[in-house]
Amino acid sequence: MIPKHAIEKYGTLFAGLVLFAFLMVFAENFASTANLLNVLKQVSFLMVLSIGFTFALIASELDLSFANVCSLSAVVIGSLMQAAYPWPLAVSAGLAMGLFAGLLNGYLVTYLKVPSLISTLGTASVANGLAFMITGGVAFVGRWDPDFLFLGRGKIGPVPVIILFTLAIVALSFFLSTQTKTGIHLQATGENEEAARRSGINTRKSKILGLALSGLAAGLTAVFLVANLSSAAPQMAGDFLLNGIAATLLGMTMFTPAKPNILGTIVGALIIVVLSNGLVLLGAQYYIQDIMLGIIIVASVAVSASVLKRAAFAL
Amino acid sequence: MPVKISTRNIYKNYGAVEALRGVSIDIHEGEVHAICGDNGAGKSTLIKVLAGVEMPDRGEVVIDGAPCRFTTPTESLKAGLATIHQDLAVAARMSIYENIFMGAELTKNVLGIRMLDKKKMRQDAAGYMSQLNKSITDMNIKVEELSGGQRQAVAICRALRWNANIVILDEPTAALGVRETEQVLELVRSLKQSGKTVILISHSMKDVVAVADRVSILRNGQNQIDLLAADLSADRLSHYILSGEVEQVQA
Amino acid sequence: MNRFKTLMGAAAVLGAALISGQAAAFDLGIVAFQMSAETHARCSNTAEARAKEFGWDTQVLNSNGSLQTHAEQIENLIQKKVDGMVLCMSKPVQFDAQFQDAKDAGIPVITISSGSSPHTLFDVQPNEFVVGAEAAVYLLGTIDFEGGILAQRFESNAGARIRGIMLDVVLAENPTVTVVGSHSMARTKSWQDDVRNGMSALILQKAGQYKGIWASFDGQAFIIDDLLIESGMKKGDVSLVSIDGGQEVFRRIKSPDSMMTATVAVPLEDMATAAVDSMKAIAVDGKKKEEMVAGPYLFKPAILVDANNVDQYLN
Repeated sequence: MIPKHAIEKYGTLFAGLVLFAFLMVFAENFASTANLLNVLKQVSFLMVLSIGFTFALIASELDLSFANVCSLSAVVIGSLMQAAYPWPLAVSAGLAMGLFAGLLNGYLVTYLKVPSLISTLGTASVANGLAFMITGGVAFVGRWDPDFLFLGRGKIGPVPVIILFTLAIVALSFFLSTQTKTGIHLQATGENEEAARRSGINTRKSKILGLALSGLAAGLTAVFLVANLSSAAPQMAGDFLLNGIAATLLGMTMFTPAKPNILGTIVGALIIVVLSNGLVLLGAQYYIQDIMLGIIIVASVAVSASVLKRAAFAL
Repeated sequence: MPVKISTRNIYKNYGAVEALRGVSIDIHEGEVHAICGDNGAGKSTLIKVLAGVEMPDRGEVVIDGAPCRFTTPTESLKAGLATIHQDLAVAARMSIYENIFMGAELTKNVLGIRMLDKKKMRQDAAGYMSQLNKSITDMNIKVEELSGGQRQAVAICRALRWNANIVILDEPTAALGVRETEQVLELVRSLKQSGKTVILISHSMKDVVAVADRVSILRNGQNQIDLLAADLSADRLSHYILSGEVEQVQA
Repeated sequence: MNRFKTLMGAAAVLGAALISGQAAAFDLGIVAFQMSAETHARCSNTAEARAKEFGWDTQVLNSNGSLQTHAEQIENLIQKKVDGMVLCMSKPVQFDAQFQDAKDAGIPVITISSGSSPHTLFDVQPNEFVVGAEAAVYLLGTIDFEGGILAQRFESNAGARIRGIMLDVVLAENPTVTVVGSHSMARTKSWQDDVRNGMSALILQKAGQYKGIWASFDGQAFIIDDLLIESGMKKGDVSLVSIDGGQEVFRRIKSPDSMMTATVAVPLEDMATAAVDSMKAIAVDGKKKEEMVAGPYLFKPAILVDANNVDQYLN
């Protein structure tokens, strides 16, 4: 008999492993080294982006702007690359853009007391408008500096470098969230803001940090996306909004049930990307993918709705 | 016992509402001092002033003879004053040790990086807890899995962790059952035994007379009555609170 | 959590159902960039139908307009080791890396309305410059090269933008025609509303100042046509010319109530069929690519459809 809490903690992980095993058996070429590396590369974008969203949600703030901020950062990077600025400058500007948007969200939430659900929607709209303003709606496309493209397309041996970057980011994020004072303060702020404040935790700082990390992650993802696609378009990360939230929600069904956590988000992102890769290898038609993603979202929200509600409505 | 902490002529207005109109109370070291009063008498405002959540318009708080001014909760904590609120005290979905060390986590140096020292926190937390409630030994348990009385124990452990000499308990037994209430009162007695000064805010006359050494009754933002609790009955106390009068005021 | 496992189980069953019945037939992967756009759907649906006529296994994927999703779907099809790929409205520079990978894996790729790439066999397209020029000249002809016109543009899409550029070229040569009002559509999910709002304002504001209206694609023209009908106009009051083709626009050209004058019909069905036929010739029948299409493009001329020949195309 498996204890109830073990099912709560590891049920989704187990389901993910079952999915993996299923694909290994039934999906031809799924378990090949090339495909597994392919999956790891593909998950990098979603993983980094949703880790950012998770940090904000740990502090009980809902960042709905991360996808549009990512697109805006991408456009900033693209415009500088197109204008032949050195790539480190373009990358820095993209990261700064993301960080700035995150800090702005933090300011709106903590100083102007606009609930994050509203303030980040506002930021998202502004970011979208700016992205269109910079591009005039036309994507930046070019055959840019190979050193820059290496960040997204490069390989060391058979291993795409983006996997290595992501591993580093994952390790750092996991460490920050579980092994440091900053991380536990973030959590305390999200779990019980008043108690945290009265225990001497600077909850305002925690909230700003959570949202800033979300913005920074959006900037990082933008670098990867632009370098991978050698182009930047005003809504290039739009699809990630739903997937990023889904990865985080799925993550909240494991390890520390109903609490956003980095490890869960990582597994959540992996499950989503493995599923979409697996469905292609199985020969599934395109609409199956949307249906499956929808089911995952509804199922994981059903398990972890309370936290989301609290973050959304600042209850 | 010498006076540990006093409020001197404290005033606090919220717009046109005069919440506190000159509260002066002396609280003696190592005693349990209850503060009673009907709703709106000014109890919670007084607690907020002591906890550093609100700043008084006038007047001062004196600890060990030295005037203090708290602009943040942290400053109040650092002065040795820990406030435990019934609803706000704990983060239910975090573990016991994380709650006890909230805001004052222990760290260790690993290769120049400051990491949380979870092992030490668990050990120390167990130490604090054993002073109050011997039945809880696993510090990894989430607070939401504890009973109301046990949660208060966790909150009080946090005060101990801060090395607080003065512990303010804000309605610690509200919404608790009979058995849990008895557990909390036992906690108050343990605190007193370990030499802490306890300020108890309560609606329950029975609880007050059971553990308090002194009682101050607030009415309309003033401390109208200060008296020793010995031989005081709950009925009597209710009467004082409602009438604002006492036959024979004791020092 | 148990609910979640049930869902995962359902997914497994679904997957098993999908792979059963797969034979060793030619495996064609078809990716449409944005299936919600009618032209993309027409392209992929025709390609799929043609491939099925050959008894091929076909898998259709939809990138939902996301660059990164498109890249990942191509990567996943490469991992699936498909025998060939047909891509509708893809982009050569952005997916350079993926096309290169496909080429390295020995997978032939034919693109439709995408632009040529050194790593693909060739691109099938009508040549948007020609299409744009035809529509522009036709429109100006209907107003005797004199007076004002309204223009509904779309800058975010390369094809639609080129059509706009060709309109400008034709206008430059005919200064007696002036654009009295122009609206540029934003690329959003609610583009229909955007067109409706923008054009209804212009139609009112500029009433009497224009004799012709140009729209960058037929979907926009339908909305404008409805607005004109609502404002009480009769066939012949203004001429409305656009580009794309399809049954709806043919029906409107034929209808006595509609303002729709002509469209330049892009032969998407011919193009998609030609792409699949070429794939068969090259990948199955072993013909050389050079025998089929010597250069980077296979041009399929667009057909101007107006009152004269609409019956020929209307089903």
